[in-house]
Amino acid sequence: MVEITDVVCSLCGCVCDDIVLEVENNKVVKVKRGACSVGKSKLLGHERIKSPMIRENGELKECSYDEAIKKSAEILYKSRRPLLYGWSSTVCEADKVGVELTEDLGAVMDNTASVCHGPSVLAIQDVGLPSCTLGEVKNRADLVIYWGANPAQAHANHMKRYSYVSKGYWTAEGKKGKKLVVVDVRKTMTAKMADVFVQVEQGQDYPVFSALRAILQGHEDVVPDKVGGVPKEQLLELANMVKEAKFVMTFFGMGVTHTGARHNNIVNAIQFTRAAHLHTKASIMPLRGHYNVAGINQVCTWETGFPFAIEMARGYAWYNPGELSATDLLYRGDCDAAMIIASDPGAHFPGESLKHLAKIPVIQIDPYANPTTEFADVVIPVAVSGIEAEGNVYRMDNIPIRLRKILDTDYLPDEEILERILTEVRALREKEGE
Amino acid sequence: MQTITLKLKEAVRSGIAAVPVEVDALTPDQLFGKNEAELKAVKVWWGNREENTGDLFDVSVEGDAGNAEEVKIVFEGDLTRVKRIGDGMKAGEIEARGDVDMRCGAMMEGGKIVVKGNANCWAGREMRGGELIIEGDAEDNLCAMYRGEDKGMTGGKVTVNGNAGELVGQYMAGGEILIKGNADRLAGLNMRGGKITIESDAQWPGSDMTGGEIVVKGETEMTPSFKFVETATVDGVEYKKYLGDLAMGEKKAKGTLHVK
Amino acid sequence: MADELLIRNGVVYDPINGVKGEKKDICIRDGKVVDSVTNPKVIDAEGRVVMPGGVDIHAHIAGGKVNAGRIMRPEDERKGVEPKTKVCRAQSGYSVPNTFATGYRYARMGYTFVMEAAMPPLAARHTHEEMIDIPILDNAALPLIDNNWMTMEYVKSGDMDLLAAYMAWIIKATKGFGVKIVNPGGTEAWAWGKNCDLNDSVPYFDVTPAEIIKGLAVANEKFDMPHSIHVHTNMLGHPGNFEVTKDTYDLVKGVKASKDRQVIHTTHTQFHSYGGTNWGNFESKADAIADYINQNDHATIDIGSVILGDTTTMTADGPMEYSLYQITGRKWTNHDVELETGSGITPFLYSGKVSVHTIQWAIGQELALLVKDPWKVALTTDHPNAGPFIGYPIIISHLMSKKRRDESAEDMHKAIFDRAALPSIDREYDLNEIAIITRGMTAKALGLHEHGKGHLGVGADADVAIYDMSPEERDAGKIQKAFLNTKYTIKAGEIVVKDGEVVATPPGRTIFVTPECDDKLTDEMMVTLKDKFAKYYSVTLNNYPVQDAYLPNPYEIKAPWRS
Repeated sequence: MVEITDVVCSLCGCVCDDIVLEVENNKVVKVKRGACSVGKSKLLGHERIKSPMIRENGELKECSYDEAIKKSAEILYKSRRPLLYGWSSTVCEADKVGVELTEDLGAVMDNTASVCHGPSVLAIQDVGLPSCTLGEVKNRADLVIYWGANPAQAHANHMKRYSYVSKGYWTAEGKKGKKLVVVDVRKTMTAKMADVFVQVEQGQDYPVFSALRAILQGHEDVVPDKVGGVPKEQLLELANMVKEAKFVMTFFGMGVTHTGARHNNIVNAIQFTRAAHLHTKASIMPLRGHYNVAGINQVCTWETGFPFAIEMARGYAWYNPGELSATDLLYRGDCDAAMIIASDPGAHFPGESLKHLAKIPVIQIDPYANPTTEFADVVIPVAVSGIEAEGNVYRMDNIPIRLRKILDTDYLPDEEILERILTEVRALREKEGE
Repeated sequence: MQTITLKLKEAVRSGIAAVPVEVDALTPDQLFGKNEAELKAVKVWWGNREENTGDLFDVSVEGDAGNAEEVKIVFEGDLTRVKRIGDGMKAGEIEARGDVDMRCGAMMEGGKIVVKGNANCWAGREMRGGELIIEGDAEDNLCAMYRGEDKGMTGGKVTVNGNAGELVGQYMAGGEILIKGNADRLAGLNMRGGKITIESDAQWPGSDMTGGEIVVKGETEMTPSFKFVETATVDGVEYKKYLGDLAMGEKKAKGTLHVK
Repeated sequence: MADELLIRNGVVYDPINGVKGEKKDICIRDGKVVDSVTNPKVIDAEGRVVMPGGVDIHAHIAGGKVNAGRIMRPEDERKGVEPKTKVCRAQSGYSVPNTFATGYRYARMGYTFVMEAAMPPLAARHTHEEMIDIPILDNAALPLIDNNWMTMEYVKSGDMDLLAAYMAWIIKATKGFGVKIVNPGGTEAWAWGKNCDLNDSVPYFDVTPAEIIKGLAVANEKFDMPHSIHVHTNMLGHPGNFEVTKDTYDLVKGVKASKDRQVIHTTHTQFHSYGGTNWGNFESKADAIADYINQNDHATIDIGSVILGDTTTMTADGPMEYSLYQITGRKWTNHDVELETGSGITPFLYSGKVSVHTIQWAIGQELALLVKDPWKVALTTDHPNAGPFIGYPIIISHLMSKKRRDESAEDMHKAIFDRAALPSIDREYDLNEIAIITRGMTAKALGLHEHGKGHLGVGADADVAIYDMSPEERDAGKIQKAFLNTKYTIKAGEIVVKDGEVVATPPGRTIFVTPECDDKLTDEMMVTLKDKFAKYYSVTLNNYPVQDAYLPNPYEIKAPWRS
């Protein structure tokens, strides 16, 4: 039995990197320290797709990697508008090959940001993002605001490692020296821990931000007695807490990115942070979901100029979420083939979008079977990044961390599968003499 | 006067997917002076491949034109997956007989487009001049900016006979928009110039505006950061005049919002 | 069979080897310049200008804040789109081009090496990941070492050996090249929303920026470092800051360089040569800075010259970006990095109709023209801060033509005539001087001339730029055009650009420096560092250093301990 320390978790955007594992006979037998319960379950492993498969007469039949890769290349090469979607639960090295494949095919490429923090990216494109690394929060923040986020359940280690509960240089007393504010539509587990809980009516976050901004700008006189279900006195109290704090940190989650004014909620949240900066130091950060959703945004941007929802049909990147997001594309029935990698639209997309996905040829690349497998025409199992394959990922604060390879495997890593598909596509093109 | 009729072939819409055709190459200024054979050979993008116009559309030409102003293009057939009609057009006229797909009249500089149906998102995006008439509804982002730009529509006139979606005229800096029905959330967001008139209802109009004027003739749900100035009369009708958006700070709050 | 190339009959400018426009053949074998060749492919350069590949001493081309600039500005990205070709990947971006465009566009200007000027240590992997994706160019990156808590604590305790040990560790851990200093103390203060002038005390740390700069200069010279400390001085962009800049030079005047080079390089000095007390009486003090440089030999500068138009500013100087955003109200990104540094990004439009911008535009060129010895000055735009690197040919044409400068000044705000010196300067650069400020000086200031960069002597890297112009060309427009797109760019003996088009995209190398520190000193320093990781960092020490996988084409320079 071997103990391995400082293992990096490949589950959520926290990317905890101080996990201690015990490995025996090429198996993780125990997670000794560091991981939350969900992370632990991933590290211990669960059932895998056994072999590459191709659907014939409605049934998935086992085949070789070569056959599955060839079939995938044929589907993609033939397509007039392939969608390559997913990318957030794999490493940057694979994402890079994905961009090259997109360019080669003239495909549409989108990643899971478009159904989670895509709105945050749109907001950043309007107003920027005053932010910091998570260690800054840990060492300095004396006022932590969670808005539309419930880390106590969704990012179990977040408060302990990085924010409200953590102890740092100027925050040696931990939560004793800090204030916690939670803004949400219902009293969540996180809200129960808060010094102040602000309950906003569903879909009314936008005017609440506007009111707070007006107050911080010195115009509380124009603010009505109640905004979005929140009494003016509570807004004034919150604004005062902001003014009196030394370092204000706002984290926001899906509760605010996908309701009401959606991405403009985030614009307003960032504008609130900018207004807070007139009085004190203030930062803001999206609580990102998948462990490398930040990474695919980074890679896609430095390689194409844009973070997600791009089309390369004309040989260069055209970016337009809302036109090119996977859900829109599928809802409209705009693409005639799809490759789904490292994600599960089968479980997360609206029914209308899935209907089209079931109609067109679909290639799935994933370590695990999931609802997408039910309608995939080619299924290619891969090594689990962070356990069986190494590579770079970006934490939710865009800190790059390298995932390790801990166990040996016969499964191929995503990167290699994609490179082989790309090679096959190029061979098909050469054959056709284009 | 010359009329070029382009009717989308049914075969284009018969596959398992509805891959859109992009017709930004088919504007009066670009087609002026081409004979029928040349018209049919103009390349248009259909997915990741370029095709001949004549392979996707039935093409017919009537009359002659002395300049681009005298060219009228009529789009017919199922246009719900025909994108970028009149994108970047500088002169002449386009009539689209049916519902059109995204980015109709985007970057338009001159001439006139009439849509005899609904327009999908981003119609009139970053419009600079000319006239766009949408006889049905307009979906989100009508006359808005491209992602990240701080200037949207800068000139021209747009009329929507029906309702408009979210974010009408975002970052608008000039020109005029008239919505005869309702405007969904955040019309005139970040507006800095020009005028938007909404004849029915609006939710949160003019948020973060720093200039320009919005008139809402129906019901208005306002954001909480506008300052009431006075009762004012516009075209003989009495309105409450507000100044904003104070969320942007006093120095920048130079937009005018008229509500009933 | 050896891979041979002969560049015949070009007019060669190779200032490091004293070649000033001589008709000369360049022989190349296996990627290096050699004495002679036997069976080469021949390039006829008859009548054309031939120079070593360009060496950029300071640009922001890769890493977290560059990419944050891209993410924030799709409107900039769409400005520069070019479709893929048989050899090139798709391009995007104007002021912050994607990685591929960065490589192609530099190569088309005849550049073959670029220094990424600011690498946050904690995010060093990001910088390297992007550098892997920049084709053609050799590169290196300067880690930020000045606002680091470890640095400030050792500066306060006065233990320069332990400071040197920490400096060495960070450079090794980040696979960096040297010591970058950006608004020392000011960026830490910014974590609380404050800033620091040169002699202010950094909040909670009880040291001054002046002490940090001096300390790091001393630490740097304890090793045979190829480069000196590379300094973005305090108070960037503030009227009257030229005094701070001069005081900064004086701080390190007594420090002895470990090699034959400067002890301090101050970067984008245009932003630090300002007179006046406010934006109303803002004026050029380029003459005062140039006088200092002329009278002293321990300091070099790069100019950070302004290109008119829209750009994206980005720097580790967080408070400065905040001030800029306060002026424009445009979008603003900030990213403070725990225990080390920070960064800010905001778009900016330089307009020739605005007095301040016009004076800024003049100052960069004044610095180049008033510093007498071109071996002390480098051409930069602090890409993309004062403008994108593709503006270099514009600057070159202005430096070479008084007429061009006068024509430009005519269209600009009249403040240029009473609050700047440029219109009264007659000096014109010749091609030899251009070669110095774009390759010879920069290679020497970085110590890279000893590693084959910036010259064409036997043994040098076969990086060559052939410009489609005669040495007698006086037309500024034609000069600008020639410097934007080479006739040929050759990288390590391979033709990568022909007739202005990229024809091959070999990967570049990453050059890194290994300062060799005594084990006992390192062990002592590590006790303190481990405590920092245990208590204050949000990553573990074991996961911190950049792994070898991030440098697929490494080139190591060892820097032995000197004292």
